[in-house]
Amino acid sequence: MAMKTLVVGVGNPILSDDGVGIFAARMLMERGIQGVSIEELPASGLELLDMVLDHDRVVIIDAIQTKNGSPGDHYIMAEEDFKRTVHGTSPHGFNIATALAMGRQVVPERMPKEVFFVAIEAEDVDNFREGLTPKVLASLPAIVDMIERDLIRRKG
Amino acid sequence: MAGPIINDTTVKTKERKITIDPVTRLEGHGKIEIFLDEKGDVSNAYMQIPELRGFERFCIGRHVQELPVLTNRLCGVCPAAHHIASTKALDAVFSAEPTATAKKLRELFYMGQYTHSHIAHFYALAAPDFVLGPSAPAAKRNILGVVDAVGVPIGAEVIKHRSYGQKVQEIVGGRATHPVFGLPGGVSKQISEEERVQMENMAKSCVEFGKFSIKLFHDLVLGNKDYLGLILNQDAYYLETYYMGMVDKNNKSQFYDGDVRVVDQTGKQVVKFKPSEYLDIIAEHVEPWTYMKMPYLKSVGWKGFVTGPSSGIYRVGPLGRINVCEGYTTPLAQAEYEVFRKTMRDLGVTGPVHHTLAFHWARLIELQHAGERMLELASDKSITSDDIRGPWNPPKEGVGITEAPRGTLIHHYRSDKDGLCTMINMIVATTNNYAAMNTSVKQAAKALIHNGEVSQGLLNKVEMAFRCYDPCNSCGTHALNGSPALQLTVRKADGSVVKTIRNF
Repeated sequence: MAMKTLVVGVGNPILSDDGVGIFAARMLMERGIQGVSIEELPASGLELLDMVLDHDRVVIIDAIQTKNGSPGDHYIMAEEDFKRTVHGTSPHGFNIATALAMGRQVVPERMPKEVFFVAIEAEDVDNFREGLTPKVLASLPAIVDMIERDLIRRKG
Repeated sequence: MAGPIINDTTVKTKERKITIDPVTRLEGHGKIEIFLDEKGDVSNAYMQIPELRGFERFCIGRHVQELPVLTNRLCGVCPAAHHIASTKALDAVFSAEPTATAKKLRELFYMGQYTHSHIAHFYALAAPDFVLGPSAPAAKRNILGVVDAVGVPIGAEVIKHRSYGQKVQEIVGGRATHPVFGLPGGVSKQISEEERVQMENMAKSCVEFGKFSIKLFHDLVLGNKDYLGLILNQDAYYLETYYMGMVDKNNKSQFYDGDVRVVDQTGKQVVKFKPSEYLDIIAEHVEPWTYMKMPYLKSVGWKGFVTGPSSGIYRVGPLGRINVCEGYTTPLAQAEYEVFRKTMRDLGVTGPVHHTLAFHWARLIELQHAGERMLELASDKSITSDDIRGPWNPPKEGVGITEAPRGTLIHHYRSDKDGLCTMINMIVATTNNYAAMNTSVKQAAKALIHNGEVSQGLLNKVEMAFRCYDPCNSCGTHALNGSPALQLTVRKADGSVVKTIRNF
């Protein structure tokens, strides 16, 4: 049976770089990659769980802000990297890592075998405006290429 | 399973300022600062809420018909409430009376939102404190710990019914999270008979899950004298405020539409008003230390963070709604409302319930009502009619009010003759509660922290004082690393950090 891959762009598309995951997902959508479904997730948490169930591989693209990062940097992470944040935190109930952990706890048989997080360093996540800041925008094509090549088309 | 851990050991701090930053389990980053006096008792406490900027500017000059899909981007948690309030504001802007079918579909959609939102709050935010205990280790005090304690089958039911709430919103609203169906005078999408039957079946299941949740609350919370003690603790969790919420002509609680009723500390009606009158009723106070405004009753006035009849602070949300109403239109919610009233009456409470933690009980009664009302609407075969849009008129100014799960939500727009937005004002539920939440935090901190002795459990009990309001700050930001867990920082007077305690 063909592998079912899902790409989820997370964020708010009218809150500057907060929407970078959404914009990356839309670029992948335009490429029309066979056997890959693309979703936008404007909310955090359990909505993600509804989406990922019954897929083999899931790629989640979201914004991040780290202390020493530069806008447009990106990091690839796995579920294990969130062990520290799964417990003890949860904005309005569920953050993404908690939602996945709850899925593994309650419906493990329907959870994807592989989950990759692509975190893109954001410059501005506080001001409502359409579009990304210049450095983040400039970094996007190469990141989207990488996602398609290394994550989506990766041999399972 | 082991019993919940209600209390833990305190440690004496020599510092004068305690910061809880950021607040856990709260959308958007909040921060609580607690200031101690020389004896180590609480002199003051503040809850600060940061602000996302530029939303109003973003909306000005756009077509007002875009606002239902833009305003719902304010928030990743309650977009459906913004969509409904915004659509109702457009009804007013375009003098467009929705058709009977459109009203039913909007309300049905909204019952899906309540189901999803109240389940998420109770099971993910409230239950950790009630199942595992406020002083349980922070690493366990979350939804995963709750499922460990109560069992995987219950976890599966939680996921299933929250998902039903989303599914109903998706069927009626086009999309579950950021709906697109609201138009002035109606909705954009007709429902098929198959979809109606599908929603009817999900609604039946939601009614049962409502019953189950209420029973769980009785077993876990009301049946435990320590928890009952917490709820009834008048030193930490009790504010005699005004209350605001929506009702029908018989003063039964309403979520989607109705008049807004305000009652005083004894339950006497102060005013019942229409959306267009809101500026006559509500004024907003500004504090220098926070961006968020603090609404209060104009006729009473702002007296600071104090309660009683001379202070215009009011509360909204489940506690506000249950205190302004005289019951529910559906039988199971009404029956539990009567249990609620009798229980409180037996404890000597005759008027409004001022006990802050009673928010949780009220929320579960609303979960029951939302399921029952969802079933009533989904069983009504007329909702598949194609009569989904009424006539409209040239645009002007308009106000729409609805009850978001977190409380009264007001959208007010002004349009030029071409339909372009020239003014937008919104008062959201959490803003309505902001003054009361600050007062609750200060009250709980003062009651629980003495002689500089603090513990994680004690600080979590301070958080419980505002968590029950289910606050949701201006949000939409959910960067992957955006929500570290509770961090308590002890600082010297010059602001330098002496000691940091983290619970993750």
